[in-house]
Amino acid sequence: MPPAEASIPLRWRLSRHARRLLTLGVAGILIATLSRRPEFAGAAAPALLLLAAGRGTRPPSVGVSVRSSAARAFEGEAVRLDLSVTGAGDYWVRWTLYPGKGLDPVGSSAADGPRSRLLVMPERWGRRPMGTLELVLRDRWRLTEGHARMNLPRLDCYPHPADMNTRVVLSRLPNRLGEHAARTWGEGAEFSGVREYAPGDRQRSINWAASTRRGRLQVNMFAAERSQDVVLLADATADVGEPGSSALDLALRGAAAAARAYLDARDRVGVITFQWGGTSWLAPGLGKRQFYKIIDSMLSSDAGWSDGTSFRRLPRAALPPGALVVVFSPLLEQRFVEALRDMRERGFTIFVVDVLTAEPPVRPRITDRLARRIWTMEQDAIRFSLRELGIPVVPWDGEQSLDLPLAAHSRRPLTGSRR
Amino acid sequence: MSRVWRVWRSAVVTPAAAIVLGAAAAAWAAAAPGVNEGMFGFALSLVIACVAGSALRIALAAIPLPEDSFLLPAPIRAWLGFLRVIRVPPWEEGAVIAALWLEVLHPARPWHTAVLGAVLTAYLLAVHLADSGAPAGTLRPQAPVLAAGVGLLALGAGAGMLPAVTPGGGAAALRVVAAVAVIVAGGLVLPHVRTAGEPGRRRADPAASPAESWPPSGQAS
Repeated sequence: MPPAEASIPLRWRLSRHARRLLTLGVAGILIATLSRRPEFAGAAAPALLLLAAGRGTRPPSVGVSVRSSAARAFEGEAVRLDLSVTGAGDYWVRWTLYPGKGLDPVGSSAADGPRSRLLVMPERWGRRPMGTLELVLRDRWRLTEGHARMNLPRLDCYPHPADMNTRVVLSRLPNRLGEHAARTWGEGAEFSGVREYAPGDRQRSINWAASTRRGRLQVNMFAAERSQDVVLLADATADVGEPGSSALDLALRGAAAAARAYLDARDRVGVITFQWGGTSWLAPGLGKRQFYKIIDSMLSSDAGWSDGTSFRRLPRAALPPGALVVVFSPLLEQRFVEALRDMRERGFTIFVVDVLTAEPPVRPRITDRLARRIWTMEQDAIRFSLRELGIPVVPWDGEQSLDLPLAAHSRRPLTGSRR
Repeated sequence: MSRVWRVWRSAVVTPAAAIVLGAAAAAWAAAAPGVNEGMFGFALSLVIACVAGSALRIALAAIPLPEDSFLLPAPIRAWLGFLRVIRVPPWEEGAVIAALWLEVLHPARPWHTAVLGAVLTAYLLAVHLADSGAPAGTLRPQAPVLAAGVGLLALGAGAGMLPAVTPGGGAAALRVVAAVAVIVAGGLVLPHVRTAGEPGRRRADPAASPAESWPPSGQAS
């Protein structure tokens, strides 16, 4: 971020020390006058002389430059604030940072000197103001203080992507060049079998060992390499669990990890964030920039409400036919589950990562225990019904790598709809 | 100077000195044989309360206050509320006014008042050092001014001990006016004397020196 230098007016006032000295001086002079005892004026003399000698020229304003090392940061990533002030003269400078909600100062929140550096670290994802910076100028004898406050810019804090190196791949991939080995033959690098030589085959593809065994010329066959469309579906309707490891936190971290993993494999990745009142979406795209676009789109779920379109009326660009839909949801919202069933019936291949880590509290009352059992059975029923429809549901606690729950499905292609 | 000594000084020595000087000022102002009437008891109670409040504030100043105490247990919230309340009143100003009030209740004793003025000034400076965490060396540039102040203090005590030339209030008032005029004159002259020594004063502030480094080596607490 470029340095934003601005002239900030200062509000000057007496320090607490000066107010105490003034109290002694004024009280001494007043008592001396009223009681006609000059020794009280003498008692006030040191304080008054200190106040008189401490007077100096006060700059009405100073030039302040605040430079942030980044306007965007991931959770747990420190952001540096370089501060400098000009025109402060001999005054002693102190900076105090009052960080915004969800931001923690790293080390101290105060620093001394005309040029200083402070560090802040976002605790949780979201778009949040960085806070307020207070500048205090004090004279050498600390009798007067010049105060100035300024608001710091906004910081976009991105969810920290979970660890994910494997990918779930569709069995039927679109006819587009990519990095996933398809079931069809092509010009890829992965060996898929041998067949008899046909005129036009390249000589370098002849498999001499197989040809010797069979007595006829055999050539190697390779799998085609294709890419796929992946749509990440983040459920932002329910945010249950401890702040920092809630269902929404896990959904966004998992979606960020999946976006990074699939974009690294040259897949086109888009995102749909399902919220109360509508959805926000981003059409699938390629490249590093798409990763930040996806996270920016998901961060809008921080607002809680949006005026997006209905889930059933998403444009074709948001859900391209044949796309793999990877869902991160606690599956607590019935409408969302119905939407998943509807998508499955429309032929989409869906994979659900269950991010529900919280449960109702255990209480001794029989009605509470009964309600808890019913809730658990309902949750089991929801997951069972999805599995019956051919939608894999894997639980993820947010602590382990995403590779672990995906392992059973990443070793072989995911079968799509039979329609 | 070792880091341990710096921490020890700012956490223990300076606050203890401020507390002791406050108690000494209260005791010195209260020390008077045979004066136990009128508002004396109330003024004495006031000065003791203010000095005790100041001592508590200084002793508990290092305890940080969390921004959000809503979810904390009730005893801790009560303790935090006490800490917030103890930091608000101007204890030192109250102690100074109450001590001077206590002193004026006594019959005239100029040398005693002069010592009280010196102790109160030292008390306020010690409180300032305890609040800011600065070393006593910070006051070194102020030493000439403080010396001039002590001189005026002695002058005021001497003026109080001189007998009036004529009976009545006029001569006493004139002595007060003369003492105040000397202080005002000193106050008007001192800034010019200080400005005349401008080149030499830039190097004398040890509290400001650590802030001049770039890039910063560390943050102040």
